[in-house]
Amino acid sequence: MSNSTNNEFEGYKPKSIKILKKFGAKTWSKIRIKTKTNTIPSEGIILPRNQFAPDGFVEIKLKNGYNIGIPLDASTEIEVLSQEPKMEVKFDPSKIKKNKKLPNIALLGTGGTISSRLDYVTGAVIPAFEPSELFTAVPELADVCNLETDVVFKIFSENMKPKYWLELAKNVAKKVNACADGIMIAHGTDTITYSSAALSFLLSDLKVPVVLVGSQRSSDRPSSDAAMNLLNAANVAGNADLAEVVVSMLGSSAHDYGFIHRGTRVRKMHSSTRHAFRSIDSSPLGMVRDGNIKFFTDDFKRRPKNDVETIAAKNIEEKVGLIYGYPGISSELIDFYVDKGYKGLILAGTGLGHFPIDTFDSLKRAVDEGIPVVMTVQTIWGYTGMDVYEPGRKMQAIGVIPGQNMIPEVAFAKLCWILGNYDDSKEIKKLITTNIAGEITAREPMNGYQILQGIEDQIEPFKKI
Amino acid sequence: MKKDFDYESLGLKIGIEIHQQLASKNKLFCHCPNELQGTRTPDFTILRKQRPVLGEEGKFDKGMLVEFLKKGSIVYEGYYDCTCTYELDETPPFHINEECLDITLEICALFKTEIIREVHICRKNYVDGSVPAGFQRTIEIGQNGKLLLKSGKEIGIENIFLEEDAARRIKTEGKISFFRVDRLGVPLNEITTAPEIHTPEEAKDAAYRIGLLLRSANKVKRVIGSTRQDINISIKGGERIEVKGVQKLDWIPLLVKFECQRQLSLIEIKKDLKKLNLKPSDIKNKTIDLSKFFKNTPCRFVKSGIKNGQKLIALKIPGFKGIYGKELNPNRRFGTEVAEKIKVLTGLQGLIHSDEDLRGKYKFTEKEVNHIKEKLDVGENDLFILLLAKGIPLENALDIILDRTKQAFKGVPEETRRAQDDGTHIFLRELGGEKRLYPDTDSQSFVISEERIQRIKESVGPYPWDIIDDYSKKYKIPGDLFEDLIMRGKLQLFDKLIKILPDNPTLVIRTITDMLKVLHRENRDIEQLEERHFSTLLKGLKKGAIAKEALESILRIWIDFPGLSLEKAKEKAGISSFDLNDLDKIIQEIIDKNIELIKTRGRGATGPLMGDVMKKVGRGVVDGKILSSKLQQLMSPYLSNKKSTKSKKGGK
Repeated sequence: MSNSTNNEFEGYKPKSIKILKKFGAKTWSKIRIKTKTNTIPSEGIILPRNQFAPDGFVEIKLKNGYNIGIPLDASTEIEVLSQEPKMEVKFDPSKIKKNKKLPNIALLGTGGTISSRLDYVTGAVIPAFEPSELFTAVPELADVCNLETDVVFKIFSENMKPKYWLELAKNVAKKVNACADGIMIAHGTDTITYSSAALSFLLSDLKVPVVLVGSQRSSDRPSSDAAMNLLNAANVAGNADLAEVVVSMLGSSAHDYGFIHRGTRVRKMHSSTRHAFRSIDSSPLGMVRDGNIKFFTDDFKRRPKNDVETIAAKNIEEKVGLIYGYPGISSELIDFYVDKGYKGLILAGTGLGHFPIDTFDSLKRAVDEGIPVVMTVQTIWGYTGMDVYEPGRKMQAIGVIPGQNMIPEVAFAKLCWILGNYDDSKEIKKLITTNIAGEITAREPMNGYQILQGIEDQIEPFKKI
Repeated sequence: MKKDFDYESLGLKIGIEIHQQLASKNKLFCHCPNELQGTRTPDFTILRKQRPVLGEEGKFDKGMLVEFLKKGSIVYEGYYDCTCTYELDETPPFHINEECLDITLEICALFKTEIIREVHICRKNYVDGSVPAGFQRTIEIGQNGKLLLKSGKEIGIENIFLEEDAARRIKTEGKISFFRVDRLGVPLNEITTAPEIHTPEEAKDAAYRIGLLLRSANKVKRVIGSTRQDINISIKGGERIEVKGVQKLDWIPLLVKFECQRQLSLIEIKKDLKKLNLKPSDIKNKTIDLSKFFKNTPCRFVKSGIKNGQKLIALKIPGFKGIYGKELNPNRRFGTEVAEKIKVLTGLQGLIHSDEDLRGKYKFTEKEVNHIKEKLDVGENDLFILLLAKGIPLENALDIILDRTKQAFKGVPEETRRAQDDGTHIFLRELGGEKRLYPDTDSQSFVISEERIQRIKESVGPYPWDIIDDYSKKYKIPGDLFEDLIMRGKLQLFDKLIKILPDNPTLVIRTITDMLKVLHRENRDIEQLEERHFSTLLKGLKKGAIAKEALESILRIWIDFPGLSLEKAKEKAGISSFDLNDLDKIIQEIIDKNIELIKTRGRGATGPLMGDVMKKVGRGVVDGKILSSKLQQLMSPYLSNKKSTKSKKGGK
């Protein structure tokens, strides 16, 4: 349970605790309670309370299953009927025998929706769903792969940090070199694409697919996309002739097919829908439906014929800033990063890659102090075009590096990797402008902006199979 | 069937749950309009699958697992302009709709409940696919209320919940269920009474009174389907049975009677089994496969089933002869209940048992029946069951047979059942509502302020049944006219309009009820008519600008052209303007032309003359009463001999 303590008044504040204490009640006490607004006594079990909820109420679970909050004041009378055991979510992991015919997949857990579950009593989402529980929740996984699970972190994905990427890359390399046929990483969807981009740079000589997967609807609800995403990801990790970092999530709002997105080309484009993940400036690498994988392109790395050793980078630079440009943005913001000793800056500029002229002096100062400044576009789709207008040219003259069609967050992860592992300013500039892992594409196909963006018919494709 | 039970000695307890849709502008948890789209073709469909989730114990919810193993899919149908990503479970809920909360507080005040001060949004799992999220959001708002019955008895109102309605089931095609999400998220109030109702008539009265009380609230929906009721019934020695979908109040007495009969029969079975010294452990999961032997059976569906790879399985139930054939309700035996449960939970057609007419109904041969008996070692008092299926459905069906048969030893199993229109009901799911509930993780609890509760409490008027009495006395017309006004939500409109025509309450009521019914039947959109239309109309009538015969025609015009003035509407309805001062002249002209007729027929000439006057003036232009009295008045000078003529006539 999150925020679990041994406190007998878990989540309650002083006023409430005083009254509860007076009657000898605490969390998990079964009580009969009466107040002036609750004249016929209610019976229920005292639940732990959300720490942000107001003082002066006791929260109980009634016999009919509903939770209600009852005011605690001078008129309150409580009779403690019994002390109930703390209700805890249990699980009963199924033991599954290894099937020699199936691929061996290592699943790394990081926290987040796919590996979270509901605390049925308090309603909190618990981020530490042991990956081994996934087998219990999605027994069909046993028909797809042999799964070995490992918890690397137990955090919400917004709390990820570049140094955790390094840790994750180290774990992946270890599993890959220990002969896993594929890697799955269960990851919160908020920052899953930052991690996929970072791993794309941090891992070299990859020899199996590394599939990041999450869910937009937590696995505690019948409509969750977690099971489908997991099954799709397991199929890709175990069977695809692919040796890249990818993200696999549902391609449409229907529970139908998953996409295989390149780790450096994918972005979460909606805060909540199942099909929030889209490949930018290109189609996804492929799709997976009912265990069948179909690639849309030949342009990806396949599993190497000869055994190689996958290597994880040793370092990462955490002092990199990502600044979103807007009308009236103050140059102070840029000065701040420079003053605070940041080592690199990614700008998300307007249109073709512009920042207001008022910031130029500060940008120049940054560049002069040896801080690489990379321009990306906040339009997400398309390339920087800093030759087109004069301000763009001026910024290039200052030394701002056009990021071409790197997605801002991808450019950020890339710069963290470069600055952590390279010192020479020329080499750094060269690496920034060179395509390493698909983050810069030479061409954007005419349909890159349109195809497979979730607007296709929802049910017809299903009928065809 | 016994004519009537002595319900008191049966220990009959009935509780009622009523669901009432609220007429708020928007839905409960999103900003979509609170409007059903009827038969309008949906703009899009989305296919989804739902999975069982792990419960608190780390095990799958049984009901859900069964649904999942049926491998069904769900297609949701929606509209781009009036359903959004919330209905499709693609966006978390928005903050609860305040109007819905106000309406609920009003309804709580009507039922005199206490208000939960800090409310928590809960989730209730739905396994049938009718909610895209897999659960319905529901909140307990009121508790400890009361309802006064006609008899003067007071029953408790246990709870009032505010919850979202589920999607509408449109059809089922094979393993795909189709639901339309326009209804999903429509706000509902669920009102549950305490199990303090003890006769079917009391139940009917309670349901009626709850319905009337709900309709007396300002913003509740009043169309067909906007109110739904469920009934909980139990008797001494029996169990609580929840019957869902009781559509008409008139069903209640029969339904209760049938349920008492059913529970009594099940209790009887329990006693019989005890007498026979049987135990649940006598029933063993030992089956034999008869597929080979029955390959060429004369029973057609068994033969084709086996040909298609299904298995025919037989199972012996020791000592159960006659029990599967025992009638619980007219034409519904114990075996029927087991078969229905199999059907609902596995999708199989059901089962065959030896209390049925195996030779006549199924065309099995004597040799076949003897073969089963021999193989299973079926004795004089034993029963055997045949099941045609394969794979997981077969295993599930077997489990259901064993479970349900063993439950016979306990009498009545707790179940949720669905009402049918013949007064009986069929299995829907195992009960256990509290296990289906858990807190909603997507929302926070919130406090309902004392001021808000007081403000709404003060706005609530007297009970509708008291209003009906008072109005009936005041206006000296039957109470059911006012009941109709309350049910239609038109009492306030009546209060305003009666000020225009204080002497004619019947006409005022007729204008806003009967006339609208006629227009509604003509498929006209009566929603176009507003208070101003009715008041203009009745003021016009009072001034004599229109006749009461014209009311309906003018309303008809206003439905299509709500912006027209009374004059323009009259014109459009083909009703000419008419100066009452001209009336004397017209009538006099007609009298002059018909002096002879008046002289010969006296007052008897009124009829034909009225016809002429109406033709001249135009139908609906002037009130018939006015015309008639004017005609009488102007005729009277010509009727000097009227009395003698008439009496003479009469004398003949």
